[in-house]
Amino acid sequence: MSTLQASRTSRTVVAQRSRPRFSVSKWYRSGGLQAVLFAIPIVVIFLYFSWGPILQGLVISLQKTNLVAPAEWVGLGNFEYVLNDPGLVQAALNTVYFAALALVIGFPIPIFLAVFINELRRYDGLYNALAYLPAIVPPVAAILLWKFFYDPSSSGMFNTALGWIGLGPYPWLNAEAMAMPSIVLYATWAGAGSTAIIYIAALSTVKTELYEAAEIDGAGIWRRVWHITIPQLRGVILVMMLLQLIGTFQIFTEPFLFTGGGPSNATQTILLKIYNYAFVNGDFGAASALSVLLAGFLGLLSVVYYFATKRWSPS
Amino acid sequence: MKKLTLRHLLAAGTVGALTTLTACSGLTPSSDGGAAAELDPDAEVSITVGDYPTADKPEERAAFDAQLDAFREANPNITIEPSTEVWDAQTFQAKLAGGTLPTVMGVSLTYSHELIADGQLPDMTPYLEELGLIDDLNPLALANVQDEEGRIYTIPTGLFSVGLAYNRDIFEQAGLDPDSPPTTWEEVREAARTISEEVPDVAGYAQMTTNNTGGWMLTTMTYSMGGRIQDDAGTEAVMGDETTQALQLLHDMRWEDDSMGDQFLYDQDAARQAFAADDIGILLQAPDIYKPIVQDYEFDPADLGVTELPQANGVNGTLTGGTLKLFDVQATPNQLLAAAKWIQFYEFDKYYDEDIAIDRAEADAAAGNPVGIPGLPPVSPEVDEQYIGWIDPLIDVPRDQFQGYIDSELELIGEPPTSTQETYAALDPVVQKILTDENADIEQEIADANDVIDGIIAQAAR
Repeated sequence: MSTLQASRTSRTVVAQRSRPRFSVSKWYRSGGLQAVLFAIPIVVIFLYFSWGPILQGLVISLQKTNLVAPAEWVGLGNFEYVLNDPGLVQAALNTVYFAALALVIGFPIPIFLAVFINELRRYDGLYNALAYLPAIVPPVAAILLWKFFYDPSSSGMFNTALGWIGLGPYPWLNAEAMAMPSIVLYATWAGAGSTAIIYIAALSTVKTELYEAAEIDGAGIWRRVWHITIPQLRGVILVMMLLQLIGTFQIFTEPFLFTGGGPSNATQTILLKIYNYAFVNGDFGAASALSVLLAGFLGLLSVVYYFATKRWSPS
Repeated sequence: MKKLTLRHLLAAGTVGALTTLTACSGLTPSSDGGAAAELDPDAEVSITVGDYPTADKPEERAAFDAQLDAFREANPNITIEPSTEVWDAQTFQAKLAGGTLPTVMGVSLTYSHELIADGQLPDMTPYLEELGLIDDLNPLALANVQDEEGRIYTIPTGLFSVGLAYNRDIFEQAGLDPDSPPTTWEEVREAARTISEEVPDVAGYAQMTTNNTGGWMLTTMTYSMGGRIQDDAGTEAVMGDETTQALQLLHDMRWEDDSMGDQFLYDQDAARQAFAADDIGILLQAPDIYKPIVQDYEFDPADLGVTELPQANGVNGTLTGGTLKLFDVQATPNQLLAAAKWIQFYEFDKYYDEDIAIDRAEADAAAGNPVGIPGLPPVSPEVDEQYIGWIDPLIDVPRDQFQGYIDSELELIGEPPTSTQETYAALDPVVQKILTDENADIEQEIADANDVIDGIIAQAAR
């Protein structure tokens, strides 16, 4: 402890001692002006197109505006409105519920898929392509297709198939309890392939000697997966989990196209709410306010996640 | 040294970017759109008009093109270009905000009050006066598009009131008389139960519930039972016993009679598709259901019946709706005048000139468009009667199957005035809840929905 303090003190001293006085002529002679001139276009373009909309969003969240009539400042009125919206709690809970379901159902599947394909000695390219296939179907087309599968009548596709083994018919999207799991089922189908590709790429970096050694020691496939593959992939797994979390908190297309947020708000999500505020109600202030809150929450989540998983991170 | 330079660089960059942003935001066009310019009916002017039929409907497009050509000939100073832009609730607000809509196009009448209140519509009074169009408009419709001072902001067309569409063939299969459709909600319930018992795989009655149609239809049902959603001034939500009664009826049809089928997430298009596929016996609709189901989904016109909205607690009325012609708030006065001229030419001339009336009807018939769909005229009923007389030989819509609707004398009630679409959106989940949760507490749902709508009204007034 004392060593640590001492080293900190000495570093501060060094920093203070070594900081030279700023001189314009010296700065100019060492090419400072050229550097600034060189950087300005890039910085301005970056600020305008990347930070500009963010800033604009912050400004709009404090205004009442339909972008046609002149905007009025309403202070935190929009935040007050969205936070008092009785539907917000349910939308937040639904979003968390979706994230949790996607984590439980959707997260392990691509890992297993990747390990499975990686273990194949032959035709692995074919399986790769098959696993990736859903990812190349445009989401809107795939969702409209799955809507047919989810037809609640006994002649619906899934219900017919389940009827052969004496199950159903199930209401799928037409019941509050089943709507969200049905959406997660689709999302898993649609997303597993592209995530598996990333894991497969990561798996190729795992040293084969480790497997050989384990095999010599008599480890079966599950022990090899558990003790070698998963630990070796943990960096990728942690990043993918964070990306998935952020992605699931921004879920929009699926509930929008499958159910429009119904039945009875069972699939209403935060992003769908933002969309409805802006594009159905034309209340861009409320939409921006909720977006700012969501961005803040996701930023916070990322920080918490970073510290929570720091111990397990390989780097 | 390095740190200091970086800090200066960032500061310089930020200041530069902020200056650029401010400068750019100053370039936003002013909302008066150069209203200071003089109105000159003969000036050269260019406009775009929406609702142009898409390329997959070549006959309809040809008929529209013919009208455009005739308009160009009559108005050589106006350059008119068609656009396939049509109103879509999901994208309309964004396009309106982005300023990408044509000079004039049709939009749901629902938006009238809020667009006027929000300053998103130009004052059209001087242009309509210039064209002498005001006296032609149906006074009933006019009330929907004026502000308190009587200024007119849009032209209402394609008006309708909600009625009851039913499948005559399914009625016959169920042993019901298609010529005496239900006139009370109790009779609707009876008929729905009979249909679902007698005709397999058919929902006796279906209700629209998504994309704001759930709230729209709950409002209609509430009106038919004597209630209101908002007070007349649109200052508070006032749903009460009548809405409870409407939801209780839906609940009982769904859970006691099981006469509403399996699908409870219909929007209007999906419901119309299912109706055209003979999956639905009875559906709340206006006669404008005729065109999409017959033209797009090949429904047999002989099977369609439309009657007036069923009532409960006496005779109360029905909800009106229609299309408003949305003029671009940023257009110049000369553009607005030209656009109003186009609407007068396209929508109104046929009511006042027998030759034009017959020409248009013939063109419609040749394009495969139905002629003579009943509805509320945008002109006075007398003028409409004369027009129907002119085109009578060309009418191909079986109007006798709409007799209950045509003969209706129900009071026409306007939509909830404040944030109409948001109000409807807030009621969608209520209807969905009743249809998907047997134990839903109706009173509580309505109390909650009243709170939500009060919040929406407060936000609109902010």
